[in-house]
Amino acid sequence: MAKNHTRYIFSMGELKRKDNSIAFINEKGNFYIPIEDTREIYCINEVSFNTKFLDFVAKAGITIHFFNYHGNYSGSFYPKDYLVSGTLTIKQSIVFIENRLNIAKNIVKTIAANIYEVLYHYYRHDKKELKPVLDWLKNDADKFISKDITIEQLLFIEGQIWNRFYDSFQYFLPEDFVMNKRVKRPPDNPINALVSFGNTLLYTKTISSIYHTHLNQSISFLHSPGEGRFSLSLDLSEVFKPVIVFKTIFDLVGRKQLQVQKHFDKNLNYALLNEDGKKIFINAFEERINETFMHPKLKRKVSLKHCIKLDGYKLIKHIVEGREFVPFSLKDKM
Amino acid sequence: MKKGVTITNHNYVFLFYDIADEFSEKGKYRVAKVFKICKKYLKHHQKSIFRGNITPSNQLTLEKELKKVIDKDLDFITIIKVLNSGSFEEMTIGTQKKETESIFI
Repeated sequence: MAKNHTRYIFSMGELKRKDNSIAFINEKGNFYIPIEDTREIYCINEVSFNTKFLDFVAKAGITIHFFNYHGNYSGSFYPKDYLVSGTLTIKQSIVFIENRLNIAKNIVKTIAANIYEVLYHYYRHDKKELKPVLDWLKNDADKFISKDITIEQLLFIEGQIWNRFYDSFQYFLPEDFVMNKRVKRPPDNPINALVSFGNTLLYTKTISSIYHTHLNQSISFLHSPGEGRFSLSLDLSEVFKPVIVFKTIFDLVGRKQLQVQKHFDKNLNYALLNEDGKKIFINAFEERINETFMHPKLKRKVSLKHCIKLDGYKLIKHIVEGREFVPFSLKDKM
Repeated sequence: MKKGVTITNHNYVFLFYDIADEFSEKGKYRVAKVFKICKKYLKHHQKSIFRGNITPSNQLTLEKELKKVIDKDLDFITIIKVLNSGSFEEMTIGTQKKETESIFI
């Protein structure tokens, strides 16, 4: 898969429309971004542009994501919906009212299964302390979810799953990176910073993927819809978090490619990645999300990024045809 | 499609151009035009060399656009098509000011 569909702008400058293509101009000179070969642009630094540029980019269907000085996600430029379907939106709402719990259950089940897969790798490599967590994930979590529960109870179980996952980090990550408690907005230690940054990246990638389907971004099933963000994106990205975000983190930390002293901002108590750290993380993240494997059903190679979109299609199938929605599972690779 | 005929998809290209700009005023305009077309699809690598990932359909549109602009008797454009960015080895001598292939700017 072509990896370079995404550009990350780390330097200050101006984005401009120039002769039916994009030019990024800074003190180093002009830098041309081929319009036909770009799907997303991430603005990590201060970038200026005008409406002429936005109009042009919108026509090409490119989404632009913005991050503030602290690396927090501030929003996306989202071109006019080109795939609009009233029928699907109506049906999506009906399914939300009638069948929300089932979809949410399937998502939580798959989260547990994917976390199990990720942790099992470490269990197989002599981290026997993980046994209780694995057993809990495999037996108890599944049992709870299968019971007749409300959505609040389901969300509680989801929280439990994540908490147990975070607690298990102490068995295989170096001491600097052990997570005592998941802290968000803002994160307060290196591992929390990595998780937040990774989740944000995945969330934006999912937004771009859903943009290319007919789904309505604001009607979600696991998260309660309508909180001023695209909550369907949160839903669909959830099962990919262990597969994409956490595996990337474990890899980079385990191989000492990311180090607390070198790649985090000292002034902020090491709670923020510095530029080098961000670049290393993004590079690994892009590599993982574009990694291809044989899809057992499609019988061709697909990337994880494409799988996010395929999950969108599966959801559409469920909404329109009533086929069961089974999110991407790491074990089956589909 | 005929049986037994396999079509290979090329997803990565190198494009070199030589535009005859020394002989006439018109040639200079053509250089700019060719440059503009190429930068829509590919990454600028060296003065008259572009490279990058491209889909087969975009390749055809690129060819078509170029054919419209150039003077067939004077100008010379080569496009080398390879399967993907993993199918060749590369070495560089000297300095490269801009890393055009990088995902960071």
